[in-house]
Amino acid sequence: MSRKLSLILGGLLLAGWGVIKLPWEIRMTRQQRQATVGFSGPTTVALREKLGQGMALAALGGFRGLAANALMLQAHGAWEEKQWVRVRSALEMATLLQPRVALFWDLASWHLAWNAAVAAEQYSREPSETRRRLEARKWVEAGRDLLERGTRAVPEKALLFQRLGDLYWQRLQDYGAAAACYREALRKPDAPPYLERFVGYALEKSGDREGALEYFRALRRSLGDPPDPARKPEIVDREIQRLKKELSEPPSKAGR
Amino acid sequence: MREAWRRIRAVAANTFLEAVRQKVFAVLLVFALVLLGGANYFAEFSFQEQFKFLKDLGYATISLTGLLVGLLGAAQLIPAEIERRTILTALCRPLRRWEFVVGKYLGLASLLGVMLGIMGAVFWAVLRWKEAQLIGAEGQAVAQAIQAEARDPRLWQAFWLIAAKLLVVCGIAVFFSTLATSTTFVVAMTLMVYLIGHLQSVAREQWLESGEAAGWALQAFLAAVALLVPDFNLYGLIDEIVAGNAVDGRATLQVIAYSLAYLGVLLAASAWLFEGRDL
Repeated sequence: MSRKLSLILGGLLLAGWGVIKLPWEIRMTRQQRQATVGFSGPTTVALREKLGQGMALAALGGFRGLAANALMLQAHGAWEEKQWVRVRSALEMATLLQPRVALFWDLASWHLAWNAAVAAEQYSREPSETRRRLEARKWVEAGRDLLERGTRAVPEKALLFQRLGDLYWQRLQDYGAAAACYREALRKPDAPPYLERFVGYALEKSGDREGALEYFRALRRSLGDPPDPARKPEIVDREIQRLKKELSEPPSKAGR
Repeated sequence: MREAWRRIRAVAANTFLEAVRQKVFAVLLVFALVLLGGANYFAEFSFQEQFKFLKDLGYATISLTGLLVGLLGAAQLIPAEIERRTILTALCRPLRRWEFVVGKYLGLASLLGVMLGIMGAVFWAVLRWKEAQLIGAEGQAVAQAIQAEARDPRLWQAFWLIAAKLLVVCGIAVFFSTLATSTTFVVAMTLMVYLIGHLQSVAREQWLESGEAAGWALQAFLAAVALLVPDFNLYGLIDEIVAGNAVDGRATLQVIAYSLAYLGVLLAASAWLFEGRDL
């Protein structure tokens, strides 16, 4: 076979294969994106927008996990030095590189909404308490925004909805929103059993005692007969009794 | 056909032995040390994070070691034989050129297979050691969760995906080695395709979506990338597995089938190109 002919044949084979493989690749990419709700990695819109400055990141495609881990370590180091802006930037990049890692969103929001916010609240060089509180609030909201993005990136897991509920409860004192997040978390198959009681606690904290009682009663009915011991029926019974007692008492006492 | 297969096996065995004599397995020692070192490096993190880091490190080290061994091995396959003129003594025997190419590739693939097997075993052992260490430190209360992380059967899916990816990369290197006379060219071109392969889906989407907005030169470039370069982003399922997310077994099988089909085409094209080459 002449060199020219072999080159032509080789080239034709590759080009022909290219035409065949293209729809196959498109189909597999679509299926993978559907499975990962569109957050599979550097081909997502979010990263493409940053490709101008971060082409190197996409080139790291094969070792994206390592790069994201390095950013998490960088964030950890910055956290130890209390360099909050660096912490935030490293965490944002890590979650952008690997948006499907629930752990990253969890850790990132904890750093911002808890560590950075508490540091802002206690910042001794700022004499104004109002300013300190405002600054802390900004960090808490940054943590909440991260978690909300995380719940969109990993919607099939309970963890981030649970953490969002914790954040609403502990950092924003929005108990109604916390209850809604816990309810959403409970729709996921990996939700921990104790979380179902947290919906009732959050409803009670939000001031909706009747709603909490109704919720605990419904929960008790759902435990089955005989009840599943892992779902702690004795605690649910105790909460029902307590709420019933408190609701039957005059409002002044029930408020205690 | 049986005769052809016997000759291919002889070339493959020879290639494998030659590579083994070059002490490539010494690289595995570095792999094991990196993994063991890395396993202890993230001790201040939660056990889930420690496993995530360890798995990422393990897979990245397996990928990188396999990539280097495959790349350098494949780059030396044909150019070095031509340079040393040993190819002439091989091809003057009743051995067809395509058998030589396929035999060389299979020899390299066997080497890669053995190395991946050893690295997989070391990785498994390090994960089990980490499991025991963490259960000792964290207590029995979380033992089940730690075991689930360390013994996740999906880790094998990721392992097969890495193997498939590396076999395709070796196929690309073999393809270039049938064209080139220098090993540097083969290594440089294969690495370039490897890197571009991770951006192939971006190029493909740009090409298919840009329409006439992009100039013809850009269109031609994007089309060439989309048609000729494999989409290495499809192997991103590995990241999903490490993240602990569910990955459909069919998706893994599809990617493996795609890799094997790509490999077949690459070897056929390599054989054709080598047929017409002046030695």
